[in-house]
Amino acid sequence: MPALTTTARYRFAGGVHPPEYKGLTEDKAIKGGPAVKQVTILLSQHIGAVCQAVVNKGDVVEVGQVVGKSEAFVSAPVHSPIRGKVKEVTLASHPILGRCPAVVIEAHEPAGTAVPADFAEDFDDGRFTGQQICNAVALAGIVGMGGAGFPTRIKIDPTPPKEILIINGCECEPFITCDYRLMLEWTNKIVAGARLAKKAAGCKKVIIAIEDNKPKAIEAFRSNRQVESCGIEMVELKTRYPQGGERQLINAVLGKQVATGGIPPAIGVLVMNVATAAAVAEAVVHGRALTHRVVTVTGEAIAEPANLYAAIGTSVGELIEFCGGLTQKGAKVVMGGPMTGIAIADLSTPITKTTGAITVLTKRQVGHAKHEQQQTPCIRCGRCIETCPENLNATKIAHAVMHNMMDTAKDYYISACIECGCCSYVCPANIELTGYIKTGKVLLAKQNKKIPD
Amino acid sequence: MLSDIRVTPAPHISAALSTRRVMGDVIIGLCFPLAAAAHYYRWFALTLTGTCVISCVVTEFLCNLLRKKPKAVQSLGDLSAVITGMILAFSVPPALPLWAAVIGSVFAIAIGKMVFGGLGANIFNPAMIGRAFLTASFGMLMTTWTVPATMDKKMPQISASNTVAMTQATPLAWSKQAVKTRNIQDGGRVPVSTANDMLEDLFRGQRGGCLGETSAVALIIGGAYLLLRRTISWHIPVAVLGSAFVFSSVCYLINGTAYASPLFHLTAGGMLIGAFFIATDPVTSPLTGTGMCIFGAGVGAVTMLIRTAGEYPEGMMYAVLLMNSVTPLIDKLCKLTPAGGKPNVQ
Repeated sequence: MPALTTTARYRFAGGVHPPEYKGLTEDKAIKGGPAVKQVTILLSQHIGAVCQAVVNKGDVVEVGQVVGKSEAFVSAPVHSPIRGKVKEVTLASHPILGRCPAVVIEAHEPAGTAVPADFAEDFDDGRFTGQQICNAVALAGIVGMGGAGFPTRIKIDPTPPKEILIINGCECEPFITCDYRLMLEWTNKIVAGARLAKKAAGCKKVIIAIEDNKPKAIEAFRSNRQVESCGIEMVELKTRYPQGGERQLINAVLGKQVATGGIPPAIGVLVMNVATAAAVAEAVVHGRALTHRVVTVTGEAIAEPANLYAAIGTSVGELIEFCGGLTQKGAKVVMGGPMTGIAIADLSTPITKTTGAITVLTKRQVGHAKHEQQQTPCIRCGRCIETCPENLNATKIAHAVMHNMMDTAKDYYISACIECGCCSYVCPANIELTGYIKTGKVLLAKQNKKIPD
Repeated sequence: MLSDIRVTPAPHISAALSTRRVMGDVIIGLCFPLAAAAHYYRWFALTLTGTCVISCVVTEFLCNLLRKKPKAVQSLGDLSAVITGMILAFSVPPALPLWAAVIGSVFAIAIGKMVFGGLGANIFNPAMIGRAFLTASFGMLMTTWTVPATMDKKMPQISASNTVAMTQATPLAWSKQAVKTRNIQDGGRVPVSTANDMLEDLFRGQRGGCLGETSAVALIIGGAYLLLRRTISWHIPVAVLGSAFVFSSVCYLINGTAYASPLFHLTAGGMLIGAFFIATDPVTSPLTGTGMCIFGAGVGAVTMLIRTAGEYPEGMMYAVLLMNSVTPLIDKLCKLTPAGGKPNVQ
């Protein structure tokens, strides 16, 4: 009997359905990444305190050795993916922070990475206690790999108590297929990770949520014996962006709404991305630190788009080169997908634990008006409001930020924005609403002295 | 291959939507009533619409030059001036002299839109500002209604040179007379059935009235097109027609011999063009769904109030302008609550 599968009864409000472009890489099996000569391990790859380097220039480091850590509660250590020598501890390009301290490691012998095999279907979680699982996750430096990068150790803590664990296999962003490939190739590992996380967090139920544009992934879990024997439920969701957002996913799967400014544990829910689940399984069973991840290198301009199992710290330029370089002119290089990803200017920027994709967009895909940044006046059509999954007045907030009226922005709940980008996506006047809102949040944080000027 | 890469905030792709496309859709929607107008008023329809559109576009161009906008032509590309011109032409009598149409257009764009800062900044619907100006300045011309060319076979093909055409009272004028004479006991009383009996002509458009608002069928098709294309949301049309329906039904039930039937009121005058094309102007209507419903309900109710209790036979223009003025207030009242409820701490 296949696992219990249901179609979601609920639907989060708003959202959009951009063209998927997943065909470029969805049938490409995960393959080993480039043999890197040098990696740059950023010391901030997560939400929380920036790590301190614990190695010095000239030190020899082994695979999986900690190179940076922090004593702060919200943080996660970073490790070396290769065996080599520390070249320097310096500032490097960071996709979000601009510049950030990093440990640069030179490989002794550059060697390609083999893709680890999946687990056997008869995985037994009885060997591990909750505490052991938590410790292994903390040591491995696992963070949410879907993009947010919240330290997983804190998430799976048994306090506050949680009822339901949702495994997030939505991957609603266009272009990205790394989670999709993982669901097909590492099905057992993901299920094992889910069971371990469930045990550690004390959840009673596990639900795997996948969008209906990935029927093969749904089938892979449905026919998995482990899923069936452990009573894991499957929920098929109607494809819609930003369904992979934790608040939207909970809404779509359970019909519950996480309070504004609240976190899912407040309503007894824990959401974990499939890649994170797989990393948890590897960390607990093999004691492997989070030093590699699957990255989709994609875009029409890329010669051979691929899903690569790459060392964290590999530069974007190297990954693009490894995929045959470009066949046509690229207009934007984005770390992540086109809806929430960060455009970068420096191709030496290294990938982090949260980088799911390198997307090279052509001018045609960006669109002429957006490429030239031609913003026209707001015609108050209200499309941004209609598509906002958080029911915010995007145009009001963005215009308040534009005119430096931060009190108005606060008054219209700027902090409740999840920065999904739906408003900017639909805006006929091509106003960078999400961009203004992000700027506004930074301005507010500076005002409140949370970050320095 | 990666020499000219740009860094901007996410998202990096956008829906195939632009202001020009939104406005273009409205123009396509307006082509249905235009076709009906051309059928009933022949050349009047085309010359009047053409004159209004051209004068609106030229006025916007000149205003842009005056404002020393670096790309003066750019704001013409959004096509909003074309819509203003079309709606203005559709809401004036077919035989309006072209010089008056030019004056109305210039006023609509220059005073109705550009002095506020152009598209997106205007408080009032520019076309209605132009029409209000014409009504105030040339009352006689604005109430001289030409008979549709299809109505009288003996009438020569109406051409632009033949401005002395047959005129008649509009259906709304009959209904107004019925209201006004409702208390007269002897023969001076105008029966409301005169108005109610015109229902079929109202649907087809074979009646006196403003150029583009006569044919209910064409307006409904145009409105349906906009709704299907999701250029407009359902809130405003439904609210306008709904509140007008409720209002007129109550009047009809109270005194069916003095007040025209609800169906008459929904199809007569500017009700349909107002509900689908004028009140739905995004710039001058509220942003949120609730706000749009309040706005639409207000437009419908004020229109009906003027029709039944006011001095004028028709009230769509004043209703729209009045509700435009309270749009900021409505927006303020209809503040959205985030999906997760109000945050505990700001």
